[in-house]
Amino acid sequence: MTAQDNQSGNPALFTPMLYVGAAIAIIAFVFSGFMLMTQGHAAFNMDANVAWGLPISTYVYFALMSSGLTLLAALAMVFGFKQYYPLVKRAIWLAIITLVAGLAVLAMEIGHTFRMLWAIPLNLQVESAMFWMGVFYLADLIFLLWKFQRMERGDWSSKLSRQVGIAGFIAVVLAAGTLALVFGMMSMRPFWYDPTLPVWFYATAALTGVAGLVFFTYLSYGMNTERMPKALRMDMEGPLPRLFLILLFITLVMFLARLTTGLYANATEVNVVWADYLLASGWFHLGVWGGILLPFVLLLARGLRQSPAIQMLAAVLVLVGMFIERLYFVVGGQVVPLFKGTWERDLVAYVPSPTEWVLTVMGIALVFALYALGERLFNLSDMPQAEPGEAEAEPEATAEARS
Amino acid sequence: MKNILESMFTRRRFLQTSGATGAAAFGAAGMAKLTGFSAVGAGGAAPSNAAAASNGSWKDLQMTKNICHQCPARCGINVYTYEDPSTGNRRVTSIYGDPGNPIANGKLCPKGHLGTYFLYDPDRFKQPMRRTNPNKGRDEDPGWEPISWDEAYDEIASRINELRENGEAHKIAHLYGRGWGPSDAGLYGDWGKLVGTPNAAIGHASICAEGSKHAKAAVEGNASYNSYDYKNTNYLLIFGAGFLEAFRPYNYLMQVWGHMRTKSPKTRVTTVDVRMNPTMAASDRYLMTKPGTDGALALAMAHVILTEGLWDREFVGDFDDGENRFSTGSTVDAERFEEVWTRGLVDWWNAELKDRTPEWAAGITGVDADDIRRTAVEFGSTRPAMAIFERGPTAHTNGVYNGMAIHALNALSGSMFAEGGLFYQMGPSYASGPADADDYRDGISRTMEGRYPRIDMAGTERWPFAGTMMQEVAKNHNAGDPYKLKMAMFYTTNPIWTAPDAPEWEKMMSEIFVVDTSPFPGETAKFADIVLPESTYLERLQDSPTYPFEGWPMTALRVPAVEPIYDTTEFGNMMIEIGKRIKGPTSDYYRQVDNVENLLKHLARGFEDDPGDNGVDGWEAWKEQGVWYKKPYHWKQHRGVFYEWDGEGYNIEMTEEEVREKLMPTESGKFEFDSSYLRAEVDYITQHLNVSRDRVGFPQWLDPEYTGGNRDLHFVTPKTPMTAEGRSGNIPQATALMQPSVGGNDRCYVEMHPQTARERGIKDGDRVRITADLGSIEAYVRLMPQNRPDTIILPYEHGHWAQGRWAEAQERATAPGNPNEMTENVSDPISGLAAYYTGRVDVERV
Amino acid sequence: MAKWGMVIDLDKCTGCQACTTACDMENDTLPGESWQDVLYYTEGEYPSGQMKWLPRPCMQCEDPSCVHVCPTRATYKDHDAGGIVFIDWDKCIGCKYCMIACPYGVRFFADEKPLVEPDLKEVFAGSGGQLWDPPGQSPDTDYRRGIGVQPKGVVSKCTFCYHRVKEAPEGVPDLDEDDPELVDYVPACVRTCPPKARFFGDLDNPASNVNKLIGNKNGIRLKDHTGNRPQVYYLGAGAGIPAFQPKS
Repeated sequence: MTAQDNQSGNPALFTPMLYVGAAIAIIAFVFSGFMLMTQGHAAFNMDANVAWGLPISTYVYFALMSSGLTLLAALAMVFGFKQYYPLVKRAIWLAIITLVAGLAVLAMEIGHTFRMLWAIPLNLQVESAMFWMGVFYLADLIFLLWKFQRMERGDWSSKLSRQVGIAGFIAVVLAAGTLALVFGMMSMRPFWYDPTLPVWFYATAALTGVAGLVFFTYLSYGMNTERMPKALRMDMEGPLPRLFLILLFITLVMFLARLTTGLYANATEVNVVWADYLLASGWFHLGVWGGILLPFVLLLARGLRQSPAIQMLAAVLVLVGMFIERLYFVVGGQVVPLFKGTWERDLVAYVPSPTEWVLTVMGIALVFALYALGERLFNLSDMPQAEPGEAEAEPEATAEARS
Repeated sequence: MKNILESMFTRRRFLQTSGATGAAAFGAAGMAKLTGFSAVGAGGAAPSNAAAASNGSWKDLQMTKNICHQCPARCGINVYTYEDPSTGNRRVTSIYGDPGNPIANGKLCPKGHLGTYFLYDPDRFKQPMRRTNPNKGRDEDPGWEPISWDEAYDEIASRINELRENGEAHKIAHLYGRGWGPSDAGLYGDWGKLVGTPNAAIGHASICAEGSKHAKAAVEGNASYNSYDYKNTNYLLIFGAGFLEAFRPYNYLMQVWGHMRTKSPKTRVTTVDVRMNPTMAASDRYLMTKPGTDGALALAMAHVILTEGLWDREFVGDFDDGENRFSTGSTVDAERFEEVWTRGLVDWWNAELKDRTPEWAAGITGVDADDIRRTAVEFGSTRPAMAIFERGPTAHTNGVYNGMAIHALNALSGSMFAEGGLFYQMGPSYASGPADADDYRDGISRTMEGRYPRIDMAGTERWPFAGTMMQEVAKNHNAGDPYKLKMAMFYTTNPIWTAPDAPEWEKMMSEIFVVDTSPFPGETAKFADIVLPESTYLERLQDSPTYPFEGWPMTALRVPAVEPIYDTTEFGNMMIEIGKRIKGPTSDYYRQVDNVENLLKHLARGFEDDPGDNGVDGWEAWKEQGVWYKKPYHWKQHRGVFYEWDGEGYNIEMTEEEVREKLMPTESGKFEFDSSYLRAEVDYITQHLNVSRDRVGFPQWLDPEYTGGNRDLHFVTPKTPMTAEGRSGNIPQATALMQPSVGGNDRCYVEMHPQTARERGIKDGDRVRITADLGSIEAYVRLMPQNRPDTIILPYEHGHWAQGRWAEAQERATAPGNPNEMTENVSDPISGLAAYYTGRVDVERV
Repeated sequence: MAKWGMVIDLDKCTGCQACTTACDMENDTLPGESWQDVLYYTEGEYPSGQMKWLPRPCMQCEDPSCVHVCPTRATYKDHDAGGIVFIDWDKCIGCKYCMIACPYGVRFFADEKPLVEPDLKEVFAGSGGQLWDPPGQSPDTDYRRGIGVQPKGVVSKCTFCYHRVKEAPEGVPDLDEDDPELVDYVPACVRTCPPKARFFGDLDNPASNVNKLIGNKNGIRLKDHTGNRPQVYYLGAGAGIPAFQPKS
């Protein structure tokens, strides 16, 4: 009954995953580091036209997934939706590691990473959205670690623990919102320029967060809900897929609104991007129809929605689809050349370089490795002890969790 | 990834020669020059900038005078150098126009600033070299071995001595492109006389712009390019001159453009060309004509000017009763017209102009008749008004007649020698050289004189008008007619790439002993047996009397800004050193000349008696100020009267005889609408062109003979602003700025109208094959809806297959290919100018 | 202190790019890193097609969006230096947010794939931390103002040739290259402009020539709707930028 004893941290899976993931991450780090040392940023395909490419979109992808996971955890931690408690610890751990992965990719992309560590705090450029994004994500990361540490000590609901949770929620709302504004406030980039962009980021962050949580939860339990604690199983059969569906619906509606506006608008830098860049790409269609519409349809029927296989499929589709969407979003704001006349007669061509892909692989490998590490070191399925007056809610679950 | 072999060849060679293996060969002097410039890595020689980066402790800013070498304009430049304290070497850091130079006026064109890259081109030849591979070909590694200057000179001189003794001195040829003055190409005349070869100075004019000279010689007797008074003109009618791209002096033309377009009254500009370009775009009106038909436009304009009565009566004359009898389609009684400074107007009208209506011209040129009429009326009713032209209209088989028709407009508007008009360039007040070659001639020199024709047959019955026919050299050699050459030395010219039917040259140069003198690798050097690398212009001492500019005399000087950074010298010194090794009195002559500096010092003595306006009165002042000039131009035509400068004003009224002698040396001393120059060779002309005997002398419409048979697209290869005497291909900054071809920042693209492309299934960016009778080349397409659908345009620069690492990278050696490989060797029979723009081609997707 | 401004008369400009190469050589920039670029546009069709061009330096905006977004204050507007927008290469972290935020596309991160191969950065490999060692490197170096050859991983931009302009006599209304006393202090692009289409002077001095030109010829600023309020003004026809159309 090893599996039973050690419900999710299956060493047969996670030990190899830890080593393989770590090895891939290290190799990717060494490779991209070597490329940067020898070629400089010429190892990337970014240029004066597309200044931000795949590494930035990978960072955005992971940062928002982290934010989505934190928002999800906040349902229980902040808003009192207790049925989500069985998911919280895993969500917080995933939030930590995806943010770390995102920051690691970002650190490899920018010109002077170490200089950033002192130059940003010492210069306090409060006018810069990027400054605040850094501040809020840093706060987010600190509160996540702190909260995780409280949970690890079994402190789920002390005043301090609650306050840390609330602070973390505020930080992540600010962080994801500011990340959106890094793009959304750029009036010279009309494709991005959108005061409601934070809402889109929150929705898609939550969507990828849920997808990530579904994916990793099933990974931990080998797709077998029977092996889950009951409370978790109940979550995975009811509230979580429902939330997944709602988030897909919200994302779909918002996407269609963005699409319609984009195609209708006369503004070249919006219209052309939608018509001639995004919709002209098979990958983009795959990303949005395969990554938003299809999972939405799959999860519509209640019977299918409860199937772990369908959930897993939907999660993978969303994770892949939104990765594509993030890349096209980041690049889409830059493909209409600013002022380039006949130098750039067409939309700017940008294809990520091998080194950029290696950085993305590094981020993904890092997530897998750290998740495996988390499974090895912590009980990610842990949840609060039943407290007086609350115990009757899920007595079975707590009993099983203790066993 | 292409041409790996090529770049391997050059890189390996340079590493070798700048490393230990080469050191012994070129001696201590060479090594000293290389201090601080040793090769770093496979990238070639690059100076260390550590000192600059660490503390900015560079010191001792100096400025020397020089002349830019990137086009014929001869802009004076200030070259700024600093001493690098870490190496003690001076380094050129920037180049600006010389404010004291009347052409540059402190300004430069886009090429000028990039001169530093010529100096520090890592592909430069670094010392004299001898070929070890006896096989020659594009893909043959010459196998260069470094040799000393003495070895190189001795080998060349021994070959010359042997040929002289065998009575074969005429088989030695010198071919040159951009000659600058007495201290380089100016040495050819005496050299040829002393050595005994008629081929000592085969110039490149016949593959350049010779057509306009002959058009001008035909009507007003001056076989020369014009000087122009742009500052005072009120109307500029430009035919295919690339005024804001390539016409000389480009830099000054842009300066004066700024003046003309903002002065009061603003100079109005109409431009005629075969493609969209900056000059067209910046003009008030553009007329896009079919290639080779400029003459028809000009004739129609002359027709309108006459029928509308807009000619300048004080220069041309008038009907005896003042009534205009020029009426479309009707002949005029010549007796009734009294000409002043022209001859043959009415005969011209009767024979040619009376039917040359705008409607007629519209059918030939594709330009709207109303636009032709409007332009003619504007031109005819504005004074001063100038019509200018250069290579474009004349690089066709009907080139001289096209040019005559255009130049005739300058007579009708009375702008010859007038304020705001055109005139000719005066030469500088040089003293004589160190010795007179006539005192040093030996028997061979005398017996060889006049014994053999030039290899290119210029000036013979084959090309009676032409002064030079470089494009005929390889053809004639290969045919053994009139004879075969044994040896050729090349200076600033690369006909193996630039001449029409360029592959002919590969055959010739494989058979003979070739010496190249370029500082840089190139196609000629690829076929050379010995390379004598010249110093780049920033390291050179060289004089340069101005190209036709504003008429008054001027001569500028190149002063080395830095010591030669490799083991190189001036071309003039090479000629002198070889001369010193010719047996007999020739060597005595060259010992008298001794070197370029000595020669220039002698010439500069002329300034002592005739100081320039800037106070330059001798050698030292010339070096310091970089230029000697003396305003004003000495002659002026005002309201039909010619005056000569008397030191204070244009106060001396000139007689007809004086005008004929000094200004319009035609048979009649007048501007001839019926050219006696052409009539003198009436048999030749009627034999080679479809002209009847009685019409030979008139500016007239003659169909251009397009090559390419039934192919339906005209193919033109214009020079754009970044084209730096054929070297931009290896200058990465220039290659990145190849505008205004439609957006090439890595190469030149072939421009094509979208309709033309659509008909052939070609899309923007496609690689296409351009085919003519001689063969085909490939290029990438850019759609350009602003061009004529029947004309495709490939700006001229890339396609060099042996010019250096940048020229050959990224397919620039093959796409675009070299258009001269498929340009037929067809020339205007009169001027001898190669008809570069007369080819018709097919285009298909590759 | 003066407020340095530039005036570009498009009726005189011949589109030759001398400004671009003068800048390239004065500031040792790489191919494609044209701090001062000339942009060509074509519209219409034979026989009435157009070709037009627009020289485009950094606009040295009065309210520069690049400065607002820089998280480290590496890019800053220096009112003590005539209002020129500089980049402090010791502070720049290479995040490239300023390149995103500049409406004029005049910021460069040259540590990237070469436009023209072989890469000059390899042929003239950098020493002392420089991105590359230009063979004719100018002696002026001031990392705090982004002057010299940039180190790796930072953004570069036009400095209005501050290393020259700073030497100008105090209070001079215009830096006219035709004045022998001032020619050495004039920005490279202005100094070399053959048709004299560019002018450089003090926008704070109502009597300066640049202000007179702006006044007489109704100077306009590009993309004024962005609110950046450039200190570069354009005169004459052709300052409008055609809307982007793919494959135009």
